[in-house]
Amino acid sequence: MGRDPRGGTPAEVSGASAARALAVIKELGFTDVVSIPDGESRHLYQALVDEPTIEVYLPTREGEGIALAAGLWVGGRQPFLLIQNTGLMEAGDALRGCGIGPGIPLLLLVGWRGYPGAAAGALPIDSAYPYTEPLLDAWGVPHRRLMGDEDLDVIEQMATLAAETSMPAAVVYGYGFTP
Amino acid sequence: MTMERLDLFRALAAVRRDEIVITTMTATLQWPLVSRHELDFDFLAFGMGHASDFGLGLALARPERKVIVLKGDGGLLMSLGSLVTIGRYGPPNLLVLLLENRGYEMTGGQEFAPDVDFVTLARGAGIEKVERIEDLAGVEAELPRLLAEPGPHFVVLPVTNSEPLPPVAHTDHAGRVTTLRRALGVVPDAEEA
Repeated sequence: MGRDPRGGTPAEVSGASAARALAVIKELGFTDVVSIPDGESRHLYQALVDEPTIEVYLPTREGEGIALAAGLWVGGRQPFLLIQNTGLMEAGDALRGCGIGPGIPLLLLVGWRGYPGAAAGALPIDSAYPYTEPLLDAWGVPHRRLMGDEDLDVIEQMATLAAETSMPAAVVYGYGFTP
Repeated sequence: MTMERLDLFRALAAVRRDEIVITTMTATLQWPLVSRHELDFDFLAFGMGHASDFGLGLALARPERKVIVLKGDGGLLMSLGSLVTIGRYGPPNLLVLLLENRGYEMTGGQEFAPDVDFVTLARGAGIEKVERIEDLAGVEAELPRLLAEPGPHFVVLPVTNSEPLPPVAHTDHAGRVTTLRRALGVVPDAEEA
């Protein structure tokens, strides 16, 4: 197994703090999160569940979740999505129809399955890894990477960009959130 | 038993007041023939099968206002898990009217699995207020209750259609959203132009 560029094997590398990410999310005024969590987001998901000012909805698939979030936004709420890249791939039609097409400013926090192993040079590479950023590029969805606490400002950057352009924008996290 | 879809729409339009009505796909192409309302929202092209997911979000965001979703059974099959989500989170102001014609009308009427029981599926997904209304007289009798009674409701309506369909019109996506947000007072008239 290869070494991760941040100094450890994939299993040893942790991402941003869920508590600090939650503080950013609250500061930005988000009212709802629609999420199908992945293993890397479970601490952030739990922090959101424990946060009384944010409603948490857990749909059955990501496309369903994007449509639900779009309805929340049209009705005046400020939702964001917390999903894995594999779910984003499943949700292409919903993202097109309920985000990009009508210009609904959905912030997507996307777990990058396959990144830790690929970054560490481990083989085989998870096939979810190489398509994540090119897929967002193909949709014209701007995105930034969140790899640790030092990157937490990208949440505000992408939320602001989504609001200003009235289009979806994404934050792609490569490592699991810590508590 | 079944009912003519256009008759069903006329019956709904006759009692509808300030409810949001979300329509989608071929099953609801005739709705504009009976309704021109600022709270009509055409979900066409917003995402295959997701009208009731969108309606759920809208109902959660606007608890003071009834949200009616008119969708076809083929569309429901494309997002069947949405029944589970409605069962868990569906608010009292959500009314889903499922237009059951047991085929994909938009693409030529191809029949899907003939034994699908949408009432059983909805109940099994955790939606408590599920019913099936077989004919127009039943619809006319029950609609006032369905509009007034707390839900969420999921109602299966077997329909046929013998009337010509209006052409599919893909109007501006963003414009439809802006119009509804203005009508709901989410944004002032001058914004999101």
